[in-house]
Amino acid sequence: MSAAKSHDEVYIVGGGMTAFGRFDGEDQALAEEAMRGALADAGLSWNDVDIAVGGTNGETKPDNMVGRMGLSGIPFTTVKNGCATGGVALMTARNGLIAEQSDIACVVGYDNHSRGAFAASPSRYGIGEWYGATGMMVTTSYFALKIRRYLHEHGIDERTLGYASQKAFDYGSSHPLAWRRKPVSVDEALESDMINDPLTRFMFCSPDAGAVSLILARGPRAFDLCENPVRLAAAVLRGRRPGSFEVFSPWLSPGERTGPSIDAAKAAFAIAGIAAADVDVAQLQDTDSGAEIIHLGETGLCVDGEQGAGYVNGDYVIDGRLPVNTDGGCLANGEPVGASGLRQVHEVMRQLQGRAQGQQVPNNPRIGFTHVYGAPGISACTVLVKEGKGA
Amino acid sequence: MALVDASLFASTDPVALQGSSCSACGTQVFPAQGSCPTCTSVSVSPVALPTEGTVWSWTTQHFAPKAPFRTDGFVPFSIGYVDLGPVIVEGWLLNKTDWHIGERVRLELAKAWTEDDGTVVHTYGFAATS
Ligand SMILES: [Zn+2]
Repeated sequence: MSAAKSHDEVYIVGGGMTAFGRFDGEDQALAEEAMRGALADAGLSWNDVDIAVGGTNGETKPDNMVGRMGLSGIPFTTVKNGCATGGVALMTARNGLIAEQSDIACVVGYDNHSRGAFAASPSRYGIGEWYGATGMMVTTSYFALKIRRYLHEHGIDERTLGYASQKAFDYGSSHPLAWRRKPVSVDEALESDMINDPLTRFMFCSPDAGAVSLILARGPRAFDLCENPVRLAAAVLRGRRPGSFEVFSPWLSPGERTGPSIDAAKAAFAIAGIAAADVDVAQLQDTDSGAEIIHLGETGLCVDGEQGAGYVNGDYVIDGRLPVNTDGGCLANGEPVGASGLRQVHEVMRQLQGRAQGQQVPNNPRIGFTHVYGAPGISACTVLVKEGKGA
Repeated sequence: MALVDASLFASTDPVALQGSSCSACGTQVFPAQGSCPTCTSVSVSPVALPTEGTVWSWTTQHFAPKAPFRTDGFVPFSIGYVDLGPVIVEGWLLNKTDWHIGERVRLELAKAWTEDDGTVVHTYGFAATS
């Protein structure tokens, strides 16, 4: 389609990603590796980059990367939006290219977290100290409370949680950059140590280290750089409305359930002019196996309640109706918060271009979707469309 | 009586939680706050929340949370959301670790931890009504 080459369209033309897992060095060494990988993939040098956006949940400053990459004087924007950081970084770069009528953007997300679940301070979230002191400021309990209710409302069997874990570790085991590469059976997942019922040890992702960088290009320039540029058909960020069920909530509204993921996905599909049913490959935030199940429904990729049969029937595996988290998702890759959302986009870009590093979705997939979701109730979704040769 | 946060309670004998109610749209929230997150009104006033309801969701905490969690000695405990009618409130579920959605519960005071000087600090929780 010729409209796709308009100057208001932004494309992904290259990506670089480090291995995810434990890392002993500096987080910005990871970021540099990813950025140099992305530039090489796009056939560009740092001097070709017009604007940059970086995100991390850690203490280092992403804009300091210019000290490693080169003092070219370009604007470098830093973003920090919890688990949604990667999605926000991508959207900021897209908007920057269009607003400034620039050609090339470099996006990077990275983190190097220490072991164990995230410890959160109530005051950072505007909640009294009592909430942490009484043991309720715990992300794993939130995930458990949310999926328990979701399974109940939609009549989904708890065994579905085991299927989601099994799928994640299956894809992780065949991805060269994934952290957890040991397959886990449905029963092993269900029978491993209980963390917060109904969620067991094999149903949670852990914080780890990793970096991902993407190169974006605006308009026709993308087609000079890449045989199959991936068009960013939509990149949408939404916050919570009354009725959403978010982490660290001492109270909930008894009314109709809403959610930022529902709103962001709906808006992204509308902007892209693409139906959820047309998606060929998707990445959903799966900080726990319950989250993948919930987000399948919230993004409109399936009807709420359909997931029980969906996992059993293989709908979400590589050759199924809708392959989801084909690199093992957060469960197998862990969650370096700043990098995680960009890992999703990187994986979908490679799937659409037919050059997946792990298992490849068959039959020339053309339309991709990514979704991140984070505290205190924000979601970023993208719709990605392969353009160029063979698309 | 020492409490984890006195502002959570409308009274302790009988025990009731303190929320706030919006005079514009009727939304009730817990703990009380000075504005309404539903309709943006600042015309809100304190309200004592209902003390009985049903379990809306639940989980059991099988590992000791990190600081700032305080305890005299960790044993697995349940937390849940309880549907009180006008608002769904998160809190401890007391005296057992296996629950089902829809189970009827009642608000109670519960021992949270003991200070170095022997003072027992209390929080709120919900116990099954037999
Ligand atoms: Zn109101």
